[in-house]
Amino acid sequence: MVAERAGYTVTMFVVDVSKSMGATRTVALPPGPNGEERFAEMTHLQYALQYVKFKIQDMIYGARKTDQCGVVIFGTEETDNQINAQHGGYENVTEYIPICTPSAATLRELDELEPSEVFGDPVDAMIVAVEAQNKHLGKKKTWTRKVILVTDGEGPIELEDWEATANKLNELSIALTVVGVDFDDQEFDYVQRDKPDFKRVNEEFFRNQFCPKVNDSVIGNLDRVLEQISLPDVKTSRSTLMNNVLRIGDVDTRTEEAMEILVKTCKCTSINRPKAFKKFAIRPKTAQEEEAEQQTMNADDGDENKVVTVTYAQLKARTEYYVDKSDGKEDEEDQVKIEEDGEPRPEDLEKVEKEELIRGFKYGTSYVPCPEGQFPKLPTKKGIDLIGFIPEKKFRREYAMGEVQYIWGNPDNPTAQCALSSVVQAMYEKGVLAVGRWVTGDGRDPKMGVMSPALFEKVHCLLWVPMPFADDVRKYTFPSLDELRNKKGEIVSEHAYLPTETQLEAMDDFVDAMDLMQAGDKDEQGNRTEWLDIRDSYNPSFHRLKQAMFHCAVVSDLDTNPLPPPHPELLKYFNPPKKFVKKAQSTIDNCIKVFNIKHVPKVIKVARKDGHNHANDDDDEMLLLDRKPSTSKPSQSLSQAKISSKPAEDGSETEDDDEDGMLIDKAEPTPRPNPLPTPARSLNNDDDMDIDPQRDPDRVIGRTNPLADFRENLERGDIVTKVVEDMSAVIQEVILAPFASRRSKEMIECLIELREVCLQEDEVDAWNSFLPSLRRMCIDSSPGNKVFWSEVRNFGRALSLISDKEAEKNGGSSQFSETQATEFLK
Amino acid sequence: MSHLLFLCDLFYILTYLLLMAPYDDWNRVDEDEEDELQDAAFFDAKKDVILFCIDCSPSMLALRPDHEDETKMTSHLYAALNSAMNLQKRKVVTGPNDSFGILLFNTTRKPDTPRTQGSEIKKNMFLYQPIGPISAPTIQELIQLLNAAQEDSDEIQKQFPPCDSRVAMGDVFTSCNWVIRDGAPKTATKRVFLITDEDDPHPLSKQLKISAQTTLEDLAQAGVIVEPFFIQSEDRRFDVTKFYSSVLQTNAFADDVDSDPSILNQSISISRIEDLLSQMKFREVAKRALFNIPFELAKGLTIGVKGYGLVTEQKKGEYKYFVDLGDRLEAATVKTGQLDEDRQVEVDKSNIVYGMAVVGAAPSNDDAEDDSMAATKVVKSGQRPFYTADEMRSFRTLGLEPGLKLLGFKPRDTIKFEDNVKHSLFLYPEENTYAGSKRTFSALLKSMIKKKVVGLARGVLRRNSTPTIYAVLPQEEDVDEMEPAGFHIIPLPFADDIRSAPIDEGYIGQGSGLDKQDDNKIWLSLAFHYDQLEASAFREEFNPHAFEDLTEPNVDLIHAKAGKLLKEWKVELANDDSATLVIPVTGSKRKPDDASNDGIDVAEIKSRFESGSLMKLKVDQLKAFCRSQNLSTSGKKADLIQRVEDWCNSH
Repeated sequence: MVAERAGYTVTMFVVDVSKSMGATRTVALPPGPNGEERFAEMTHLQYALQYVKFKIQDMIYGARKTDQCGVVIFGTEETDNQINAQHGGYENVTEYIPICTPSAATLRELDELEPSEVFGDPVDAMIVAVEAQNKHLGKKKTWTRKVILVTDGEGPIELEDWEATANKLNELSIALTVVGVDFDDQEFDYVQRDKPDFKRVNEEFFRNQFCPKVNDSVIGNLDRVLEQISLPDVKTSRSTLMNNVLRIGDVDTRTEEAMEILVKTCKCTSINRPKAFKKFAIRPKTAQEEEAEQQTMNADDGDENKVVTVTYAQLKARTEYYVDKSDGKEDEEDQVKIEEDGEPRPEDLEKVEKEELIRGFKYGTSYVPCPEGQFPKLPTKKGIDLIGFIPEKKFRREYAMGEVQYIWGNPDNPTAQCALSSVVQAMYEKGVLAVGRWVTGDGRDPKMGVMSPALFEKVHCLLWVPMPFADDVRKYTFPSLDELRNKKGEIVSEHAYLPTETQLEAMDDFVDAMDLMQAGDKDEQGNRTEWLDIRDSYNPSFHRLKQAMFHCAVVSDLDTNPLPPPHPELLKYFNPPKKFVKKAQSTIDNCIKVFNIKHVPKVIKVARKDGHNHANDDDDEMLLLDRKPSTSKPSQSLSQAKISSKPAEDGSETEDDDEDGMLIDKAEPTPRPNPLPTPARSLNNDDDMDIDPQRDPDRVIGRTNPLADFRENLERGDIVTKVVEDMSAVIQEVILAPFASRRSKEMIECLIELREVCLQEDEVDAWNSFLPSLRRMCIDSSPGNKVFWSEVRNFGRALSLISDKEAEKNGGSSQFSETQATEFLK
Repeated sequence: MSHLLFLCDLFYILTYLLLMAPYDDWNRVDEDEEDELQDAAFFDAKKDVILFCIDCSPSMLALRPDHEDETKMTSHLYAALNSAMNLQKRKVVTGPNDSFGILLFNTTRKPDTPRTQGSEIKKNMFLYQPIGPISAPTIQELIQLLNAAQEDSDEIQKQFPPCDSRVAMGDVFTSCNWVIRDGAPKTATKRVFLITDEDDPHPLSKQLKISAQTTLEDLAQAGVIVEPFFIQSEDRRFDVTKFYSSVLQTNAFADDVDSDPSILNQSISISRIEDLLSQMKFREVAKRALFNIPFELAKGLTIGVKGYGLVTEQKKGEYKYFVDLGDRLEAATVKTGQLDEDRQVEVDKSNIVYGMAVVGAAPSNDDAEDDSMAATKVVKSGQRPFYTADEMRSFRTLGLEPGLKLLGFKPRDTIKFEDNVKHSLFLYPEENTYAGSKRTFSALLKSMIKKKVVGLARGVLRRNSTPTIYAVLPQEEDVDEMEPAGFHIIPLPFADDIRSAPIDEGYIGQGSGLDKQDDNKIWLSLAFHYDQLEASAFREEFNPHAFEDLTEPNVDLIHAKAGKLLKEWKVELANDDSATLVIPVTGSKRKPDDASNDGIDVAEIKSRFESGSLMKLKVDQLKAFCRSQNLSTSGKKADLIQRVEDWCNSH
């Protein structure tokens, strides 16, 4: 479908403001915050103006100078129109807004309309409107003319000369729309009860006499058209054809063997972005204004018309440039300070005018000034150069980088069309895509892309999609999903990360059940159709924002008249059809069962308390680094001067009280001669330990009762490694916390069980690396817990490193000899 | 040395200044934000620090025949330094804010001047290049050394004499820690590229192994990731299990927080020395996730995924503004605020509300001065005509929280070539929020590959982005090609984004005058390797004379392989009916019965040009001809004739 020429239209709104339009009606509003039903009282006129304002708003949104409108009202007490001025008659008709490109001011003028105490004739008003339109357009024949009549049809109509009016509309090929307040509408299934007889007569006149006589006319009920306009509509915009040339081979020196095809290109897809909203803010009143207001209030005491107003000012972006003119040779301390704050101190900044600035690039440590246009451009030549062909199979869909373009043979040049068509056909038959280099103009940067043949019924063309340069592709490495190796380098065939046969089967069933090709509605033959067609999908944000923008332009208070909910059409692809999901439910349930995915409570970020290397990064990469408590190292002593004794801001609110207490103690910024990083707590925090003792046992061991958690988790069997790791972390944390002595007995028990499990479950290495680390924590770190370590030592050999002998007995291996193990605890 | 450190500090300040620019720009557009903008800001704001930590053991220094040039002798160390240099050069353009350093170990070379600032490093280690931003002089220095080594293959050994016994790896890691701490900005991603060919540095001492392990933990604690590059040669295999697999255990890939300690760390790469540079290029940019969101396959079946941008347009680098202070250039800080123009006051962000533009001063405002610049809207006290920022966000997201929701599956070929508007993103499972994500993800991937289907999903990837429908394209793991397993998600266009074809009829080449067989041969003989596509060096240093535009078609090859066929094809085309078709003339003033206005063809134009009778043609005819040749149709008749004559002269 070729889109209608946008703009070049004059729309005349003919609005009824007669006495009857002042009758009030109750209009349903969107439900309130608690779902309660809400209604608003408004006059017919206010209700009808919503439609007019919406239409005008649409023009403003489109922002086309050639999309113009005028407003004629009838039923006014005064008479003010050109025909009356010249020939008399046509009373109670006012040319309210002269034809112009509408703006927000147009809407504001409409807001000021009030129903009158008299009646006016709609046909008279239409004649005035048509006359004004004709006068305005003069000889411009190509412009589209529209008249939209909005009335309740309750006023008297002069039924004599209406046919001449209808003929005039046809003669000027004007499209007429009649919108009736509470008109009966079969399609809408609406019949107004207790309709006054004269209104019925008027309605019938419009429906059965006037409209049929006008070639291009529609008539509808106001409620229906208001509902219709809330439907999202897709503006089909016609893409502009751009000249270009498709080159094959060297056309400059080897013309005989080279080919140039004259082509036109245009957009095939183009992201349609919503219009930007303007920014506003309440303008604070100056003392003067305040006073003036107070005075008028006092003076006109009792005058109802004087109301307190609030002014919103539209804001404008302002960009200012500052430069740090202090020559940067300050003492080191200052430098450090700047670094810590992350920005220079404001007092050093001096404002500079934009004119003084030089544009430039950063090149390593130096700056390269580059006033506009100074860098030489690439000596490229406009055109699309064919580089070669690749089999369609080799095309990587995920490399397609942007919007798609059509490439057509020049529509006025049959030779070019023929040449392009033959290329397209050959490519199609051979199943290849062309690789090309596109330069939009001489000296412009080239783009690389792939062209695919497209064979429409009556025309052939190429479709172009841009592809990445080598620099645009990031080759990140990701661990294999299939090939897991244990520490010995052997491939592991069973692991919690690897799906089992049962799981694979369950997933196959799920994928089959979720096939969308049969998920749509039934067609005429009763066959289920495909569901989800992007050619039928509205951009929900775009239309929602547009709706919001229109709404706030037509209502004056968003609290009493809030934005209605989004049109259901916008949300139709948010979830698969209910029936369809219901059919697939058994496979879904099966997947839920066999995959047994557990949600892990969100881990609260632990701020690193290691002063110097403080990494306040906002991403979660740092989490890992906090897993292992820090060890004491001379390397950290150097950073002592800068240690920021940041209080433990680890978001402890979900911790149990006990923990909170500990952390606060820890955070006391007592300057120590050799402050060491406070051991960070394990990631595997038992956030909700105290909330739910029966909580998900999958991954975490709590601090409150680690042993119980440990045992419970081990029974599940498949997560030994995790359990051991978590247990180790918990033990270290507990013994390093203040008042750990209260729990040292319990911790020894934990150690005994942990060691036993490590020995049995081939986690020997885990234990053997844990124990030295525990020793370091207890002895070398500060405050540490030397007492606890001596308790471990007192316990003796049975808690020491696992020796090779012990390990072998249990089918494992260890790097420590029996002697080393014995020595370790001495 | 103090001077050097001072420079480093200065560098932080400068980078902070510079960094503010992209952030401010980003803030300015946040309402109309689009995902790409955020991506760009995200990457710009991150700095990479890479410390090359290179072994100088006798085996690294041993001279071997160059794999490219058999007559030359080269060493692993030379190759390692060369790779380091090349990587720095590349980074000048792609990441000018990044920092590098080179630390050598197992050498007796002593620092030229004792360090007075920062920490002393351990014995038998040499800090060849302290961590600092990329700068031409440091690269030059390295290039000079490499050139000298080319001349005299012993040069490197002279510069960095090996020591008798190996340095403890624990000491190496500790030194790395100190060097990075002294030189790296705190918010940077810090990595050590460890290059060695010794798979068992301490065969006899368990103690040294444990110390290596613990010092590595410290390094991890300090936020440093060690990325090992182990070099093996034909005669010497590198066995990770001897020493490194247990040592590197604590150094899990920073991104994969969930890695299971019982499983070997896969960030280890073992390669031949020739592949070192390409291996490094793979790891050149630190891997960063763009988002971490839940992926709901069905109600009650949700897994965790992380998203990565594998294909993003690398921008040429943004302009920065500088002020010439006479002795130096200083970058300017950009501050953007929202201003009430009449009052000249900046408005705090939290007070801004959003709505339609208003025009002029409000008529009801009696005090409105004529010269007021800002448009205002006056409402009764208590009325609210504008939306808050939160409301705006809910309009944009339609109240959806970040996450992906699977809608179902379709056969793979339902995703058309033209269903594209933006680059794709890559999904990889994330085990931390949903335990069991990896197995489920893996099973889904296998199943989709087996059944040749794509998924369709609705997603909001970030807090403020628009709901979009994505095609979920499975990618099979390919170890040889370094293709990871995962899903590509391709944003699909909405109906609003799709333009209809403006041309629905055209001349279609028919068999009569055109031998298609011939055509096909042309296309096939030009078959081209796909990888060529990615070739580009645009973002490299630019020297217009030496610059080679790799994207230019290889015309010699085209003519060698297909020149003759092209020639034949042209002849066929010329014989085709279309060549003799007249160009229809369309014009508003055309009279239907005027025979001379019916059309115009190339032959007629040419003959009229020769006879000098172009003037006799009508404007509409000239215009029609111009249109058919992609020429402009503007101007008077004389302009048109001039244009047509120019065309005739060049054809």
